[in-house]
Amino acid sequence: MIGKILFRKQSKTQLYIAILGAFIGFLFLITSVHYLIRINEDGKNKDVLNGKAIVVQKKVSSLSTLNLIKTDFNSEEIEKLNQQDFTQKVQPVLNNNFDISIQTDSKLLPYFRSDIFVQAIDADYLNVSSIEWNWEENDEYVPIILPREFLIMLNTFANAKGLPQVSEELAKSVSFRFNLSNETNETSKKVKIIGFTGDISSILVPPSFLNYGNEKFGNHKSLKTTQLLVSIHEGTFGKLEKHMQSHGLEAKESSLVIGKLISITSSLLLFSMGISVLIIVLSSLLLIQYTQVLIAHNRYEIRTLLRIGYSPQKITKTITKYFVNAIAFTASSSYLAFVFVKITIDKKLLESGLSLSKTYTFQSGLALLFVVSIYLILNYWNTRNEVLSSEESRI
Amino acid sequence: MDLHFDNVIPHALNDIQHKENSVWGNSFTLKKGEKIILNAESGKGKTTFTHILAGIRKDYKGTVQINEKDIRNFSLLKWTELRAQQLSFIFQDLQLFGELTVQENLVLKNQLTHTFTNEELKEMVAQLDISEKWNTPCKLLSLGQQQRVAIIRALIQPFNWLIMDEPFSHLDEKNRNLASSLIQNRVNELQAGLILTSLDENNSVKMDKKLYL
Repeated sequence: MIGKILFRKQSKTQLYIAILGAFIGFLFLITSVHYLIRINEDGKNKDVLNGKAIVVQKKVSSLSTLNLIKTDFNSEEIEKLNQQDFTQKVQPVLNNNFDISIQTDSKLLPYFRSDIFVQAIDADYLNVSSIEWNWEENDEYVPIILPREFLIMLNTFANAKGLPQVSEELAKSVSFRFNLSNETNETSKKVKIIGFTGDISSILVPPSFLNYGNEKFGNHKSLKTTQLLVSIHEGTFGKLEKHMQSHGLEAKESSLVIGKLISITSSLLLFSMGISVLIIVLSSLLLIQYTQVLIAHNRYEIRTLLRIGYSPQKITKTITKYFVNAIAFTASSSYLAFVFVKITIDKKLLESGLSLSKTYTFQSGLALLFVVSIYLILNYWNTRNEVLSSEESRI
Repeated sequence: MDLHFDNVIPHALNDIQHKENSVWGNSFTLKKGEKIILNAESGKGKTTFTHILAGIRKDYKGTVQINEKDIRNFSLLKWTELRAQQLSFIFQDLQLFGELTVQENLVLKNQLTHTFTNEELKEMVAQLDISEKWNTPCKLLSLGQQQRVAIIRALIQPFNWLIMDEPFSHLDEKNRNLASSLIQNRVNELQAGLILTSLDENNSVKMDKKLYL
């Protein structure tokens, strides 16, 4: 009955505009949050390297070949890079200074043996757990991460021998062996592939294994740092790239492209999120104004309801409930629209060769819930104040 | 539930010389169950008096207490609780919802306390001879018919005091007697107090006390 009294006089045009604005704002917000998360996840999950860092090295030129320019980093250069505003953290990639070779150790693969170069980085930079990325002297296996180029080379070799090629999954289940040696000693360790990387061209081993090899079989010459793992702040990829160009540094092209794409897309999505928040703010202002006009038109009705004994809470609740229903309907509609938008965008991205996870991000739902709550709290607060001021006594 | 006035003078009437026995500027207590008539000519503050008791006006000096509590300190919520359960009003301007029917106006009020059934509401409407207007929007009724609806609306809640501001001004003698009878029965049933403001003393309700403005 109270609803019949209060909503009889309303002109709905402004309400429809506010609702339409809220719908567009909500839709943009959910879509931006969802794809911001998915694009960043995708960039990080493509590789065993978790995307927190880029491997940087000095450019090799004729001068460096003639030993006129050093290709290793000294501590001052590392510190300088560490102090850049875009840098989060710099860590040297550790190298081996002992002889090491890898050989197949399974009947599933043809005998293959090659001298190799191994490097070590912390588990922090990998999509593997620190428990998995650990080695102690008595362990049965040394966990390793293989460069994808290595598997391609192995398959080329298998193809030449007329043997079946090996997938990444199969390679993880077959045994390999490391042979470590120096002039006097030699030892052999079983190894297990736990992942693949396209960002580093050497075989990655846990730091504890590299330290063991350098200590037991090393030539005791000081180790040179030729590569650095550089983590940067979100959206500062351009600054890193500029720095690399001016300091004669380079990174692997694929890492650069992925990093650049993530950086550009993230910036665009953040911009879109900002626009959506602006739309939501404007539509909520419109809705607040609409509520004020509604209450102003019903000043007599509200005052009379208060005078016959209806509490301000009851009147506020009736008005708020109306807007809760309107906003809940708008939010549900925008989420439903997002489902269709997502199907279309995912399809377009797949056609362009970018396959993102199909699942819905809970953060996008959470973002919607958050703005709807803010919306309703603001509306309730405004309605309550307007109702209370309806019976301003003559003081 | 007693109503106590202590040297109350509305700001608007501050410059006027009030009589010695006027309610303005004097201290007195109205006891629950008393039937009081406030008889005065226009412009003396009859409506102001009822509006002060309803919490609508606070532009006065002095204090008014309900159950020994200064009504100036009551919140809007407290006032709406009092208006729903303890103080019932018939305002001079009636304050009906013109778009709602007679039935809807009464049901809206009755929904607050569920004091009467729909049948009992119909019966009261019949007693005041407006049964045929049950489904008519109030804005289409004559002033006299609207006044009768407002009287019934004031009676269908529990109350300790019934405060009426010129409730019979548009009623003929027959309807005034019908309304007075209905009011008296309900007030007696609840052992409530009654305050009636009127331009004249011709109201058919038996009064205990007379106040002057």
